[in-house]
Amino acid sequence: MQRIMSIFVTKNGRKGVILGQEKIFKHTLNSITMKRRKFLQQSALASTAWLVPAFLQGAEFGPLTTRRNGKILVVIQCSGGNDGLNTIVPYQDDLYYKNRPSLSIAKNEVLKINDNLGFNPALQAMQGLYDQGLLSIINNVGYPNPDRSHFRSTDIWHTASDASEYWKTGWLGRYLDSQCAGCQNPYHAIEVDDTLSLALKGEKRRGFAMSDPERLKKQTNNGFLQQLSQAPVQPQEENVAYLYKTLIDTQSSAKYLAEQAKTYRSSVTYPASDLGRDLKLISQLIMADTDTKVYYASITGFDTHANQKGRQDRLLKMYAEAVQAFVKDLQQNKLMDEVLILTFSEFGRRVKQNGSGGTDHGTANNAWLIGGKLQKPGFFNSGPNLQNLDEGDLRYEIDFRDLYADLLQKWLEASVKDTLGRDFKGLGMI
Amino acid sequence: MEKIRHLYWRAGFGLSPDEWRERRNWPIEKAIEELFDQASRAKNSLLNAAPPARDEGGLAQMLEKERAVMFQQNHAWVSRMSASNESALLEQMCLFWHGHFACRILIGKLGVQYMNALRQHGLGNFRDLLLAVSQTPAMIRYLNNQQNRKGRPNENFARELLELFTMGRGNYQEKDIKEAARAFTGWNSTFLGDFEFREMWHDEGSKTFLGKTGPFKGEDIIDIILQQPATASFLVRKIYRYFVKEQIDEVLAAQLSQGFRQSNYDIGKLMRQIFSSVWFYAPNNLGKRIKSPVQFMAGLMRSAKMGFLQPGPVLFMQRSLGQILFNPPNVAGWPGGKTWIDNSTLTLRLNLPAFLLNSEEVGLRTKGEFEDEGREMGAQKLANTHDLTPLYQLIKSSKPVEMVQELADYLLLVKPAFGLENLCKDLPGADRNAQIRSLAMRLMTLPEYQMC
Repeated sequence: MQRIMSIFVTKNGRKGVILGQEKIFKHTLNSITMKRRKFLQQSALASTAWLVPAFLQGAEFGPLTTRRNGKILVVIQCSGGNDGLNTIVPYQDDLYYKNRPSLSIAKNEVLKINDNLGFNPALQAMQGLYDQGLLSIINNVGYPNPDRSHFRSTDIWHTASDASEYWKTGWLGRYLDSQCAGCQNPYHAIEVDDTLSLALKGEKRRGFAMSDPERLKKQTNNGFLQQLSQAPVQPQEENVAYLYKTLIDTQSSAKYLAEQAKTYRSSVTYPASDLGRDLKLISQLIMADTDTKVYYASITGFDTHANQKGRQDRLLKMYAEAVQAFVKDLQQNKLMDEVLILTFSEFGRRVKQNGSGGTDHGTANNAWLIGGKLQKPGFFNSGPNLQNLDEGDLRYEIDFRDLYADLLQKWLEASVKDTLGRDFKGLGMI
Repeated sequence: MEKIRHLYWRAGFGLSPDEWRERRNWPIEKAIEELFDQASRAKNSLLNAAPPARDEGGLAQMLEKERAVMFQQNHAWVSRMSASNESALLEQMCLFWHGHFACRILIGKLGVQYMNALRQHGLGNFRDLLLAVSQTPAMIRYLNNQQNRKGRPNENFARELLELFTMGRGNYQEKDIKEAARAFTGWNSTFLGDFEFREMWHDEGSKTFLGKTGPFKGEDIIDIILQQPATASFLVRKIYRYFVKEQIDEVLAAQLSQGFRQSNYDIGKLMRQIFSSVWFYAPNNLGKRIKSPVQFMAGLMRSAKMGFLQPGPVLFMQRSLGQILFNPPNVAGWPGGKTWIDNSTLTLRLNLPAFLLNSEEVGLRTKGEFEDEGREMGAQKLANTHDLTPLYQLIKSSKPVEMVQELADYLLLVKPAFGLENLCKDLPGADRNAQIRSLAMRLMTLPEYQMC
């Protein structure tokens, strides 16, 4: 596999590579190589040779091949409750138009996918993915006794608990607990943000939150904190030792991730949105063979109680264009089979529009999977039934935990029971 | 000296430099008296907030206004926690009970009622506290008791009452939840945000709850719950974990539970018993807890005589450190302990004292609100006022190695792993105050400063 990285030769014959924005001459590169090897050894990473970026292994400027650590999951959360009915539009359903006299999307504007359903025109970028068989849409995803509060419903999606239970750990956190007990690196799951979501908090292990590796490096590796990491901590002081360990892990991870993020420069242009930036960072880390199985990103603002149309269209467009760039990037690196993207929102919205040109909190919604290895590309099931509603809201048909079960079992090779607390059959999507 | 420090950190939010100078050599009994005295003199009800006005603008605008009122209440509460003329003990009790009776509150008037319930009964009788909180419109709305009506009960409140507020799992059956829910039918709140018992909606039929049968009302269910030994034990264990140590000493917990039940659930008496006991000051209880974000902030504010003119920075810090008052993660409250710490919260905690005292910009991107299009980019100055003069006056010596020791005695509850002498390197010039300031900031950057 060809790594995208420029090699240059100067007029007087000096060779080097371009890393990020920097030109690095061969002799400098050799010394960086030494430093990196040393750093990697210090980080107890040395035994896992595949972690050493490909360009540091073997032939200096020969074919730059890499081996990757299996499957990668990327989760994109659409916070606020995306209106699923105006995302995947049931354009043949009269009830849809009846319930949304001014908010519906006209039949001739819908980007038709099949005889009943079509994309919101803002999702034009997704149509290409759909046509290539890279997208699965699962309709009517939810859970029993739905909660219409953002907080509570987000909590339920993050913890994967029943609506009647309050769990303190997230599903991906428990995945880390069960699969990553001996992991050396704290960045086995990364959230591209400066705060860590409950989804990534386990009992014993946590994901790593970072929106800008350079900034995190600066905040954790100043002179004083650097010295602190050398302090001789008494292991019996359990909580103090935990704080120091977290500090040291953060310092070494920030350094490592900042380096990793510079290793690869994409030839794809990402949109300048937050999500575009986040997915670009994720792509850079993936291409640099970072030992990370799960990436988590989110966009917010889908809580469209008033004047929904313009806002939802902007958000969907932003989402679709960022994801399109990301997929293109993955395809260019022949990684579409190795990366799976889940997109969800904590709930859908009320079928009937409200008096302010918006929609109120609802229940079931569609969720999306994007990847090259989908068993059922296209629609997994038929669209929502607008005749049989539960107090004006869609009835769920697919429990989101069955979707999680697929991801855990088929993609992350983890035990569903250990992670979700009990068995879920899964959907056979992957 | 370490006893005083321990007491004030667990019963309150540490000491200001002046308080430390005055009290560090007090006998512990005197300090306990002072804490309880101040609590008994504290205003136990805050000013009432007006009910939300819906005349102008729509619902969205009303909620936006109320959101700002809640931010002010949050800001005011953190300020009380850090103020010497307020009762630190009472504020700490309220913080504990807020985590216990976790409730998300969006309306100013409901926030004041809820806080008043905690303030009036937080050190009083647990039955009074439980009843008062259960009847706050904030809790009634949060746990859907408005939807709990005769013939179509909503079990949410009854379930949490048993599971999280009083007995804990394993001490009752699903059937008990259903029956209790029937007894609470009709507990409601009016449109203007006051408690109301709607007799029409109340199920007057006979209920069987924890083995007893009768036409119970909500109050009867609460009384039956308080007759259960499991209730005293559940509450004491939770108090022990918060005020003493996460690992529970079962023998002590059993003794305390028995006393608590015999005292008819006198919370003040229980707290006084804990603070007066010898074991409370045992070395393996000192400095073992990780401060919660709010405790960390309030303590820092108290030490640096710090205040915020606007709620914004207070909210920003709470959001990025993971504890937003009036907005717990769910009804189970904040799990606490190590769960406060992840790579991002620790990084911010270690950097925050310098950010605040130097008015540096904090570069952080946090998740926006559900309705915000786009996210908060926190490259903002956390505008604050502070005054380190009392800290300068506290320090008697003039050699850095001695100054750092005096400061560590005041600021830290555990001996730091990083030798204090190492902190004295590269201090600014000969200006004593600048040196004290610099040393204090370094001490507050140590992971040990997170402990209490």
